[in-house]
Amino acid sequence: MKQRAVFVLAFTLSLILLFILPLSAKEIKTLSQFPMSGPVGSLPEFGWGFIDGMNWVNNEGGGVNGKKIKWFLEDFRYNPTVEVANFSKYTAEHPPDELLMATGYITGGLKPLIEKVNKEQKIPWLDGSYSTEIFGAGGGPSKYPYYYSLGATYGDQIKVLLKWIKENHKGKGKPRVAFVYSPTAWGRDGTPEGIAYAKKLGFDVVAEIEYPYTATSATNECMQLRKAKAQYVIYHGYSGATSYTAIFFKTARKIIPKAQLMGTHYTTGRFPILVAQEAFDGYVGVATRPFSDPVPRAKYPKDNAMVKMAHEFAQKNRPEEYKKGLKGGIKDMFLYMEGLTYALMLQKALTDADNAGDLSREGVKKALDNMVWDFKGMFGGKTFSYKSHTIPMLQIFKAKVKMVKMGDKMVPTGGVYPISDWINTDEIQW
Amino acid sequence: MLSIENLRVVYHDVISVLNGISLGVKDGEVLIIIGANGAGKTTLLRSISGMIEFYDGDIIEGDVKMDGTSIKGLDATDIMKRFDLTYVMEDRPVFWYLTIEENLGAASFSRWDKRVKADMEEVFGYFPVLRSMKGKRAGYASGGEQQMLAIGMALMTKPKILLLDEPSLGLAPLITEELFSIISQLNQTGITIMLVEQNAHAALGIGTRGYVVEMGRIVLDGTAQELLENEDVREFYLGSGKKERKSYKDAKRYKRRKRWL
Amino acid sequence: MIDLIQTLGSGILVGLVYALLGLCIVIIFKASEAFNFAIGEFLILGSFLFYVLFFNETLPWHRALPLGVLIFLFFSYVFFFDIRARFVIAIPSGLVAGFLIFCVLFFGLNLSSLVSSSLLRFIIALPMGLLAAGFVGSMVERITIKPLLGRSPISMTIITLGLGFFLRGCIQLIWGSHAYPFFLDLPDITMEMGDFLFLSDPIWAGILSLLTFGLVIVFLFRSRWGLAIRATSEDQAKAMAFGINSRFILLIVWAISALCIAVAGIMISNFGALQVGMGYVGLRAIPVVLIGGMDSIGGALIGGIIVGVCESLAGTYIEPMGLIGFKDVAPYILLLIVLFIRPYGLFGTVRIERV
Ligand SMILES: Nc1ncnc2c1ncn2[C@@H]1O[C@H](COP(=O)(O)OP(=O)(O)O)[C@@H](O)[C@H]1O
Ligand SMILES: [Mg+2]
Repeated sequence: MKQRAVFVLAFTLSLILLFILPLSAKEIKTLSQFPMSGPVGSLPEFGWGFIDGMNWVNNEGGGVNGKKIKWFLEDFRYNPTVEVANFSKYTAEHPPDELLMATGYITGGLKPLIEKVNKEQKIPWLDGSYSTEIFGAGGGPSKYPYYYSLGATYGDQIKVLLKWIKENHKGKGKPRVAFVYSPTAWGRDGTPEGIAYAKKLGFDVVAEIEYPYTATSATNECMQLRKAKAQYVIYHGYSGATSYTAIFFKTARKIIPKAQLMGTHYTTGRFPILVAQEAFDGYVGVATRPFSDPVPRAKYPKDNAMVKMAHEFAQKNRPEEYKKGLKGGIKDMFLYMEGLTYALMLQKALTDADNAGDLSREGVKKALDNMVWDFKGMFGGKTFSYKSHTIPMLQIFKAKVKMVKMGDKMVPTGGVYPISDWINTDEIQW
Repeated sequence: MLSIENLRVVYHDVISVLNGISLGVKDGEVLIIIGANGAGKTTLLRSISGMIEFYDGDIIEGDVKMDGTSIKGLDATDIMKRFDLTYVMEDRPVFWYLTIEENLGAASFSRWDKRVKADMEEVFGYFPVLRSMKGKRAGYASGGEQQMLAIGMALMTKPKILLLDEPSLGLAPLITEELFSIISQLNQTGITIMLVEQNAHAALGIGTRGYVVEMGRIVLDGTAQELLENEDVREFYLGSGKKERKSYKDAKRYKRRKRWL
Repeated sequence: MIDLIQTLGSGILVGLVYALLGLCIVIIFKASEAFNFAIGEFLILGSFLFYVLFFNETLPWHRALPLGVLIFLFFSYVFFFDIRARFVIAIPSGLVAGFLIFCVLFFGLNLSSLVSSSLLRFIIALPMGLLAAGFVGSMVERITIKPLLGRSPISMTIITLGLGFFLRGCIQLIWGSHAYPFFLDLPDITMEMGDFLFLSDPIWAGILSLLTFGLVIVFLFRSRWGLAIRATSEDQAKAMAFGINSRFILLIVWAISALCIAVAGIMISNFGALQVGMGYVGLRAIPVVLIGGMDSIGGALIGGIIVGVCESLAGTYIEPMGLIGFKDVAPYILLLIVLFIRPYGLFGTVRIERV
């Protein structure tokens, strides 16, 4: 009888211990969400880059001063509702002093989360959104103190393009600029600011066209541009895994061959080279990241430490996917590098906070606000400060695409190559 | 040439319509099947021609044989091609939205060859009205013309045995007469005919033998002449005979009794 | 004025492609009274089949082999049960077909090493791609539609909905969901006169769609198979009683439909790029057939042009006023108006009433 009581007691005790022990040992937790599937196609690369990055951070990278980060990764399927629901679930399950940072990826998810992140949870939130509304002049740290963007706003991107036009406009008369953007939250974002700035610079804004990503033809839009005699077309769309950008470039190249086609971050990449091919040649666009994936892939810019790191990571951890490319592998190294970037950013922020002796949500926020970093050499050695809650770095690129015969096929080769130095938009006097 | 042995057919697995029918069709004859509405005459023809499957019916017992070969369970088109058996459905089975000429063409689909045009001429020979309106949509033709067309279409398939389902339905007496004379002409060219009719008088006039079907059973058989003279047939199908009517129920029992005799 | 003509012109060119989509719906509807909601997936599938041949795209063995086996099974099945060939003929011919398909998918066709001119390559690859699309169409019919023959058309329609999801999954599995470059490089026939500009690609799309449309009509109205199809479309039972194998006819109808959808798909892909997500284009067929009449072939042509022009007009005149996305809605608004006035569509059959 006695033995049994002892046994039961021991059992109960061990159960209690089981529950209490992990609580006593505080963990560092983060939540990351990427759109890895959904209406714009499947983008598992985000996850691959992030997983490889986090594994490196926790092992070779030394974690947060030796402590490991317990990271969670979710696919929110390009659906803001899912993004919000995941966030609610994790914040309910994990105590605030453990779950220290969260990341998201789209403007659509930022908006419904404003209250929850900035007022209730007060958790530093890194996001892939370049929303002008949230990170630009009208928003920013004063309004959304816990939102951080990993790139310059669309408004700034478009303004940098306009500045480029001002500096490079040759012909007589005022430059005739046109805006083409997709009728989505992020598509409409930034365009008004760009138009206002163009007017301020004394340009003629000759057309302002919304071009939906369900388009099957761009003839109407391009004819409008032709009629308006646009000299510069600023295309603000999305090129990853969708065909509507290809439709636009192929059509525009024929209907308005003389106009300079320009674009924002998500058009300045690998996809248009593959899909629009020669129609993409001569394009000028900005990007918030170094261009990491020319065609063929082996010719990536090795002078950029971050790009080099991403390629080496991918080759080491995902050799199959790296080789396969479009056919079920890493379609664009940007996507992979982006996942990796997030991992490194989490480590840097958490480590800074730990060094300052305040490993809490507030501590991480302070660390981010005070951060001055070169992001492992991502911006050609330049550093940025995170005061504005955006990484204010941009570079202007120009596309060079050439068709070459490979075997029996004509394949496009080339990439987008920098035609400017890295620009810190915080330092520009607009 | 065609023999049906103890055929039992149900629709949708539950509605039993033919309850053991046996009959035989001899080469070169005109066999008449008469029976009231719902007796199962159409079902009988569907079972023979292989169309029954299309109406979700099943032959659950018995067999259908052509010259000794079982044709039970074969596809309708197979039966038609291999055994030269053509079934002209009831209610004038023509394609309303095709022209008369196209209708004839469609019917010759299974044996398309050089002689189609000649055969068409032959059909126009039997039914001169059709020739004059061959470019017209069949839907706009009159009932009699449609029935002639239906028989013409059947001829395009080059049948040896022709199953006709109530060709006189809804036609004026004069036209019915014309139609039946053509049917008997066809019979003279060597086509065996199995004719289902409610218009017993006219039908028996051109027939050699006949069967009376009631509730999915054969209740009476004999030569056309015998049937024409039979009291019950006269009363129930020819609309003549004794003034004083027996109830339907009585008649049935009576007939059944006669059958056992 | 110039604007108007320009807009109408490009509307008609795109409209011709839509008309072809409408035709595909109409012929299936006429034959089986079912609406093929999987049209978008057929569109993508057809384009991919052409892509494989034209751009010499190969698949890894673990994708090509199952496809080859599928083709083998299907061919043997059709030869055995529909064409009624004997077993010794059916199986080997199935094997040959399956092996050929496997070879094409796995090793590629290498057309471009044989023929340098892209026009000639197109002329060779197009019929082959279309044939392949036709085969897939008939295969799908055999597996999903035929077992439902004689049942209500609603169940067939619902099957096509499920079929759409299934096909989409298969396509994604085989080819992934990213965009493929698509350059047909047909001879440049851009028409530019002063202010007018009609691009080469839409003109080609219009011409080829119209041509396909015409060929289908000729086939339907001038050939004995077409006659059989029209007869079956009117009444399967009657057709069967007169020796037309309705089931095989349905297979042919699905094949033709899939083939035409492929033409439309190839033309639309050529505007931009090819990608699974583009399937929604197929749904443009809905306003087309509803405006033109579900069972009218001529209606599909007119309906297609109306939808194309309507979209184009909305794009040029209404969208710039700030009503973005109106282009996609405009055909449906028109549709509502048409259905108000004529519930069966503009050219929907008025049943023959006997005089
Ligand atoms: N497709 C069917 N499904 C169910 N019952 C049927 C079907 N066709 C006929 N019947 C029934 O079978 C019986 C016999 O019909 P039928 O053969 O058409 O008779 P008849 O041609 O002698 O008038 C009728 O009671 C009818 O209701
Ligand atoms: Mg009947």
